[in-house]
Formats: sequence, C-alpha cells, structure tokens
Amino acid sequence: MTNATTPTLDIRNYSLDYATSGGRFHALKDINLSIGRGEILGLVGESGSGKTSLAWSIMRYLPKNARETGGSILLAGEDLAAKSAGEIDKLRGRRISMVFQDPSTSLNPTLSLGRQLSEVLVRHRGLTKTQAWKEGEAMLAHVGLKTPADMMHRMPHQASGGEKQRVVIATAFACNPECIIFDEPTTALDVITSRQILDLFVALQAETGVACLYISHDLALISRTASRVAVIRRGVIVEQGDSAQIFGAPQDDYTRELIAAVPDPRHRLVTTEIDAAKEPLVKVENVSVHYGRKPFFAALTGRAHQGTVGNRAVSLTVNPGEILGIVGESGSGKSTLAKAMTGLNRFEGKIWFAGKPISGLRDMGTEYRKDVQIIFQHPDASLNPRQKIGEILSRPLKLYGKDGSNTEEIGAMLEQVRLPRSHADRYPHQLSGGEKQRVAIARAFASKPKLVICDEITSALDVSVQASIIQLLLELQKASNTAYLFITHDLNLIRQIAHRIAVMYRGDLIEIARAEEIDRPERADYTRRLLEAVPPPAGTQA
Amino acid sequence: MIEFLKRLLRTPQGAIGLLIVLLALVIVLFGPSLAPHDPESLAPLARYKPSSLNYLMGTDQYGRDILSRLLIGGRATISMAVLATVAGTLVGALIGTTSAFLGGRSDEVIMRTVDSVMSIPSLLFALLVVNLLGSSTANALIAVAVAFAPSMARVTRSVALSVRKQDYISAAIARGERSSYIILREMLPNVVAPIIVEMTIRISFAVMLFATLSFLGLGAQPPAAEWGLMVSEARQYMHLSAGILIWPSLAIAIVAVGFNLLGDGLRDALNPRT
Repeated sequence: MTNATTPTLDIRNYSLDYATSGGRFHALKDINLSIGRGEILGLVGESGSGKTSLAWSIMRYLPKNARETGGSILLAGEDLAAKSAGEIDKLRGRRISMVFQDPSTSLNPTLSLGRQLSEVLVRHRGLTKTQAWKEGEAMLAHVGLKTPADMMHRMPHQASGGEKQRVVIATAFACNPECIIFDEPTTALDVITSRQILDLFVALQAETGVACLYISHDLALISRTASRVAVIRRGVIVEQGDSAQIFGAPQDDYTRELIAAVPDPRHRLVTTEIDAAKEPLVKVENVSVHYGRKPFFAALTGRAHQGTVGNRAVSLTVNPGEILGIVGESGSGKSTLAKAMTGLNRFEGKIWFAGKPISGLRDMGTEYRKDVQIIFQHPDASLNPRQKIGEILSRPLKLYGKDGSNTEEIGAMLEQVRLPRSHADRYPHQLSGGEKQRVAIARAFASKPKLVICDEITSALDVSVQASIIQLLLELQKASNTAYLFITHDLNLIRQIAHRIAVMYRGDLIEIARAEEIDRPERADYTRRLLEAVPPPAGTQA
Repeated sequence: MIEFLKRLLRTPQGAIGLLIVLLALVIVLFGPSLAPHDPESLAPLARYKPSSLNYLMGTDQYGRDILSRLLIGGRATISMAVLATVAGTLVGALIGTTSAFLGGRSDEVIMRTVDSVMSIPSLLFALLVVNLLGSSTANALIAVAVAFAPSMARVTRSVALSVRKQDYISAAIARGERSSYIILREMLPNVVAPIIVEMTIRISFAVMLFATLSFLGLGAQPPAAEWGLMVSEARQYMHLSAGILIWPSLAIAIVAVGFNLLGDGLRDALNPRT
C-alpha cells in the first residue's frame, strides 16, 4: 500500500502535443507536479494555458490527436499511462474522480439525480441497488442538501445549479477516491452559491484527506482554498510554491502580472466626481419586463396568463459621463434591463433620454440608437462570423450617416481601440477573445454615443485581458465623457470603476449606493450578503 | 478549402458521392461530344439489339443507340434537377430565415401556411402545378422548385432560429438595422452550411421527381432524350428487350444515390463535431 512518502499524484516531466492540421501544438511541456495526501494544489492559468488538458491526461481521457511525448503520471506510485483501458475504467470514479465546471451539462438530463449517484456506488463499490440508494441519500445529506430523500428522485432540471453541483461533488466523493480533480467547479455558479460550494469543498476535503487538484482561473479563489499553487502559462509551469509565498512575493514576471491584474476594490481607477445636480442623461422610470407570449389558446379561452417577470418596476438614473454599475446574480434582471433600454425587449414604463420620453420601441429612432450603444458579453457571439472586421465596423458608419473615406475611418476606429489597421481584412475567428471584444467596443463607439451599455463585457475574458479592456474603456470615457451602464457580477471590479452601484435581485432593484459606500453597514441585507460572499483579492489576506 | 476536401474524402460516402457527381458533371458538360452515335438517327434494321461492341448498351425500339441517348439526355435531366433544387432552396431559405427573424405571430402564420403546403405530397403538388401551367420542361422545373420550397423553408427556419438568438443579431437590431439587411446579410450567410447539405440530398429527389413527371408525360416531350421519358417509352417494349428499360433506370438511380452520398459526406465534413 501507499507509504507516507509517496505522493498521491505525481506528474513527472510530462509533455503532451496535439497533432493539428497546422503542425504540432505543444499543449503541455515538462510538467512536474506532485500532490500529497490531504493536500490541495491550486493550478492557475488563463484560457488556453493547458489546465484542462492536464486534467484530462490525468483522467486518461485524451482526444484522438493527442500525443504524449514524454514523462509519466503516477497515482500512488503506479504509472497510469502503462495501464490498459479496462484497468483505467475501474480506476476512474473509484480512485480518481473529477468535478466539472458546469453541473447542468455534466449531469445527464434524462436520469434522476439518485440514479446517477447510486450508479457509481453499484459499479465501484459493489453495492446492491437498494444499498446504493440508501448510501446515496446519506451522501446527499452529507453535502448539505436539506431533503436528500426527495432530492434523489428529482431530475437535474428540478434542482438549482448549487444543488446540482453538490450532487456532482457527492458523486466524486462517493467511493472515497485518493485524488479528485476540480475543474473550475464554481465558475458557472452565482457568487453566494459558489461561496457555499467552496466552504463545502474545504470541509469535505479536510474530513476525507483526499488529494485535490483545484483548477481555476480565479486567483482570489485559489489563494483561499489551496495550500500550494502552481501557475501555468502556455503549457509550462512558470512558478510553483506555497500559496502565501506565491501571492505574497511572486518570483515570476507572469505571476506578478496576473496578480496585478486582479481587480482590487481598494484601488479605485476612477477619480472624477459626477455632478448629480445636472439633469440626468437617462432616467428609467418604473420599467417592467415580462417574458413569454400569451398562448393563442389562452387568449381564446380568456384564461389568465402570467409571463415570467424579468424586471419589476425598476427606476434609476444615469448622469452624463457617469459609470453606473449594476450587479446581481444570474437571473436578477440585469441583462433584461439592458435589453429593454436598447429596444430588444418590450417593456412597460418610461425611459427618459436627454429629456425626451420613450415609452416603447417605436420611440427609439435613429437618434436614440445612435446615442445608446450596447456591448455584449461574448465577443464570439456578437460579431458575425461571416463578416470581415472592416464590414462589421462600417455598418454603424453607414447607418448613422457618415460617408466619405470609409477605410480611413475604419482604420482610425481600430487604432482607437489599439488594434492594427490591418485587422480590417480579418474574420472574427482569426482574432483572440480580447481583440474581438476591442472590435465590439470600436463598433459601439463609432457613433460617438452618449451612453454605452456594457453587458458583462469582461466576464468571458482572462484576468489580464480584462484589465487592459477596462483600461481602454476608462480612457475612452475620459476622452469622450460617455456614460456607462456597466453590468457585471464581479463586485471587486465594479467597486474599482463605478461611481454608483445598483444592486439587483430577482428582477427588483434593491438599492443604489455610491461605490465608496457600498460596504457600509447600513446597506441592504442582500447587498451585505453579496459582499461577504466575494473572496477578497488574491494576496491581501496572506 | 483543401482541408475541407480532405475531410470530405475521408468518409466513404463523401468519396463515392463526389466521384459519381463528378462523373455526372462530365456527362453534362461533354456528353454530346462523347456520344458514339447520333442519338436521333433511326436504324430499322438494328432494333432491340443487346449490348455489343458497336452499341455498348444496345439499341431501343427505333434502333437508336441507348448509350448516346443517355449521354445527351444527362444534360437535360441533371441540370434541370440542379436548377430546380437551387431555385426551390433559395425561395425556401428566404422564407425560413424571414420567418425565424420575424418570430411571434408572423412566424406562426408563415410556418402554418408552409406546413399546409407541405402536407400535399411533392409529386402530387408538382402534378398540380404542371397541370395548371401546361406540360413543358420549363413548367416542370417551376413545379419541382415550388414543391421543394416548403420543406427547405422548414429546415432553414430551424437553423435560423438558433442564429436569431446570437448576439450579433441583437447588436444589429439595437443599432437599428433594417430587417432586410439583417435577414440577407447577417442571418443568411450563417445558415448556409446545413442548407447546402440538405440541397445536395434534395437534388437526388429532384432527379427522380423529374423522371416521374417525364414518365407520366408531363415533363419533357418526345423525341427528347430525357432519362425519365426514356423509361416511360421503354415500358411498352420491355418484354422485347430489357436493356431499353434497365439502362436509363440505372442511370437515374446512380445519379440519385451519388448526390445523396455527397450530401451525407458534406454533412460530416461541414460539421467536424460529429
């Protein structure tokens, strides 16, 4: 059996290539990692750094074009690469298991939660079905679900994201494995839920003493959970060491960059004050949004139909040149409000823009469209993949009546967002995520708008890219005095850049407070809970 | 492009389908110059001949060389099928994308209309159109195109609905773009791939539909060397020589299967995830 000196998981000089049509791509190069019993190793890296590739090579589930070029992965001293497919099958789930990012896609939607959990027990621990079901109930109780017996019978869509992730975690711990890989287990969850999941994870880990590889891009999160941290960049581990040491005194330049890029609410990036006495640019008055169309037959029979509520009588104002942050969990109605303001949703109520009333889509003329622009979360989705950047950028120019030297103007737009002019001839898929978002920003600013709605524009981006995008936005704001409606779930970020912050919860506007005063004790209950759930920026509590 | 061809050729369906379709293309382009005999010269002494070196596929009831007639008839049969399918696809794609873009009530009205048209079998529908317009090659083309449009509209709409939800459409609406621009420039280019696959498979149906129309005497008129018409004429003489019936039927079948296989291959090649 395992003696105390052998690490549970030991990766030695491991390298992995992918054979692509453009030649070999080195996904991992000379990885050396070891995790002892009861240890949590945090693996931090940006997208494309090879974090997930490493997780899959430990699980021995690699795509067909993967080529292992050297090194070994040892689980309690046994080389995993040398094992046959059958042996690996027995090992997966029992000695080594994995928790995925999104519980709604990692659970089978057609099987009940109990069935998915007990299947693992039947298969790996040789229990009978009734035994496994009982054991499953006990486990669900263990992971803090209140009605485990009831939860066993539910289907995945009948449980919330947090509940589902608890079931996934229970499944991972089900056979007391030696090693569990967590691949961004809280990224898909809301702030408060992810905090609870994290607490659960820490408690379970301490109790079982399992070796954990915790993969995340979130430095704050890693600094709180992991005892040791490895920073990975482009398939190479650049720095590895004690959590306190990495975040307190990082040696590598890249680590330093990463830590510096993490938003810190104490470090405000906006210093200007907004004169609230002036007439507000936008006044949103009792705007409500209901989703869902009245069904045809309900209309015929006169049956009452209540649609889903997106927003309930939201009122707020944005002053010229102000950055108003809107925070809230998913489903709180942040994006719904943005869509109502840009004419993508029907709404009830009134919006005053520059003194003019707007009570529906019909009142949103070219003038309004020109002055109010929106930038979306996913640059992949907001740029048409079949159009060149030049064509994408030329549309607002054409629409808002600016003829003349188009190529010249497009070049200037690209330069404004720090992209080379030659990018006009490229397609969106030839650009990186950050570059795409810059193009989206350039498109929004083409019409010299008075208000730009930023709908989670940095949440799909890496930390360092996020920092540069935010910097760009702030520079543009300084130059043109545009007001921003900045929607995000990242409280640390919004506390850095917003003048005022609006908190939303389930379609209601809870409160609006000045950014400096958001952490005062007199704030609403929900606001305080939200703030408590946010991990403090990396390195501050070490 | 080369990458795409490689992917297409990797599947057996794609490779075989491409081969057959290329062969069909050769027949369409060079058929008349490849034909060994004049397809319309009658030879009363050489009727119902079986395959021989002179007449590779034998002769028909008037002593005309079947191979030459097939080579020349290919141009009419295949190009008509492709033309009709393309026309039907264009109309259907436009209807489907528009319907998906408009959504709500208009979507409901358009799609229910399309559904009711679809409930008429395409052959019956084509017959109806030809009967109304009179039987000729051009009218048969219109008939097939109209018969194909509804199902293409349905396929396109289902793809367009997912495109409709993308942010770049929202961005276009928020910028205040005209509906025609959004449908034609933003949405249509993004639904093209599945439409091409569906279209390729449909061409094989069109070949058969044309053959059926000609067989029933509603498409091409004698003495044209259209394949369906050849089968139709051969019916009365098949007990004298089976070859007259078999060869054109086989030609129709092979071309239909070829386009079908190419469609399958394209579907795999255009969607690398499967």
